[in-house]
Amino acid sequence: MNAIEIKGLKKSFRGMHALNGLNMTVPVGAIYGFIGENGSGKSTTEKLICGHLVKDGGTIKLFGKDYTDAGIRVRVGALIENAGCFAGSSIYTNLKMQCLNLGIADIDAEISRVLKIVRMDAHRDLKFKKCSLGMKQRVGIAMALLGNPALLILDEPINGLDTDGMKMMREILTDIAKGGATVLISSHILGELEKIATHYGIIRQGKMVQELTAQEMEARARVFVSLRVNELQKACQLLKQKYANVRIEQDYVRVYDEQDVDGIVKYLLDHALVPSEIKKNKVGLEEYYIELMSQKENK
Amino acid sequence: MEKVNRLAFDTPSFGKRIKGMLAVDFYRLFHTPLFYIFLAIAAIIPAMIVGTTGMEGSETAALFTNVWQAIAVESPLYIVKNIGQYANMNMVFIFGGIMVSIFIGHDYKSGYVKQLFTTHAKKQDYVISKTITCAFAMACMCGTYLVGTVLAGLLVGLSFAVNFGSLVCALLGKVIMSLGWASLYVFINIIFRKNFWISILASFFFGTGILIIGAAAILGNSAILNIFLYGSSVYACLSSNFLSVLVCLLCSGVWAVIYNVLGTYILNKSDVY
Repeated sequence: MNAIEIKGLKKSFRGMHALNGLNMTVPVGAIYGFIGENGSGKSTTEKLICGHLVKDGGTIKLFGKDYTDAGIRVRVGALIENAGCFAGSSIYTNLKMQCLNLGIADIDAEISRVLKIVRMDAHRDLKFKKCSLGMKQRVGIAMALLGNPALLILDEPINGLDTDGMKMMREILTDIAKGGATVLISSHILGELEKIATHYGIIRQGKMVQELTAQEMEARARVFVSLRVNELQKACQLLKQKYANVRIEQDYVRVYDEQDVDGIVKYLLDHALVPSEIKKNKVGLEEYYIELMSQKENK
Repeated sequence: MEKVNRLAFDTPSFGKRIKGMLAVDFYRLFHTPLFYIFLAIAAIIPAMIVGTTGMEGSETAALFTNVWQAIAVESPLYIVKNIGQYANMNMVFIFGGIMVSIFIGHDYKSGYVKQLFTTHAKKQDYVISKTITCAFAMACMCGTYLVGTVLAGLLVGLSFAVNFGSLVCALLGKVIMSLGWASLYVFINIIFRKNFWISILASFFFGTGILIIGAAAILGNSAILNIFLYGSSVYACLSSNFLSVLVCLLCSGVWAVIYNVLGTYILNKSDVY
């Protein structure tokens, strides 16, 4: 069973197509990294799943049922844009209101549980308006976690966080996923997403460009050898004679899809070019994404 | 095993959903200063009205000879010839409209509405819950208005002579009308949910009953005006009887259903924000 199954989803705002027949499949238990440039339709998709927007066409199924099914929706938690808390109320009061809304019996225990997960148990009486950005994001996740959701939808939860905040958020999200919830997370910070996601969906201009698992991503990730040489242009021209994909990037000559480091170095040395630095790398999510987008752009 | 357990989905009944939504709305109502401020305002209004009866040359001095006139008019009078005739418990419904606008406006301003709609697929839950909560708040305002009137009347020394049965019917009618007015304001706030100030202005505009007063100027003092909220609110007067209560109940109930159905329809057919 899939946690989310979207087919032909359409949404437009005043004639502008935000989603243009989006298809999307999120398996149960996945941490699904939802990637796309600004305005590609990530947030619109998430808002549609949460029922905040009305779709123009297509179907959304959550755990095999229509997304409007009350039984399913009570097990969905979301952090879309902001935490949705009353600024003048304490963190505890805000969480209590959502507990009442969900009809949770042991409110205190539930609030303690979620605050512990987001490392906020020491701040429960703090007014929401006094929280830092990172704290507000964590309170938002705590709100979404109330009632033990089976599906968690997080829109850019690590945006604006510092390094420590990002690390903490990564740990929190990993803990949540361990608990069995399916997590749909959109983010621009692909390096962070790469560390936690089990599946990826790449969206562009309201359409799904590619969906792949982390393993598939790993298998598709191209390897390359980076070399720092004094005469970059000369080295590049020389290597192009022997290797198919050679580029100069960030003061390095990069030989793509080639793992024979010894062969490359020997070839350069034979032509009196001595590399001062040699690295063997793998294309990460960010590079993969950029390359995929540039391919689409060229088409 | 844990994952299997997590994927059990129990569909909550309508009653359970409404209970949850009402619980959060009433919790909010009782835990925000807004409600208490408006209760105080409702108590101060009659005190000011009755207080001015002692002032020489004031509008109300000539109109008010009995303290209960601050609660309702003597007989159904839809055409207001003097601003002082406005000055009764119907004013609660004007201030109540502003309270509803602020109460619902905060849902949207804070983004809390997103949490509600994520977990409550049925928009109807939201509309019903808000209507009941706001109707309760306005009924409470009617209560403090009554207290304010009595205290001010005692201080000024106005006459308390009244047909007790009619007074009870008038009060009951006004309290019942809270439901209809609350549903109207919830509906207005759903329409203008993205424009807080327009919501407040629209609530104030409709709360004054100016359209009905205008209609009364054309139609005359016709009983047909009782089909409207303002008309029935006026009909709950000091000569009320059981029929007046029934008229209020019918009018308030029918409009509450109409506005709730329309509000739910609009929410279902349009984006939340």
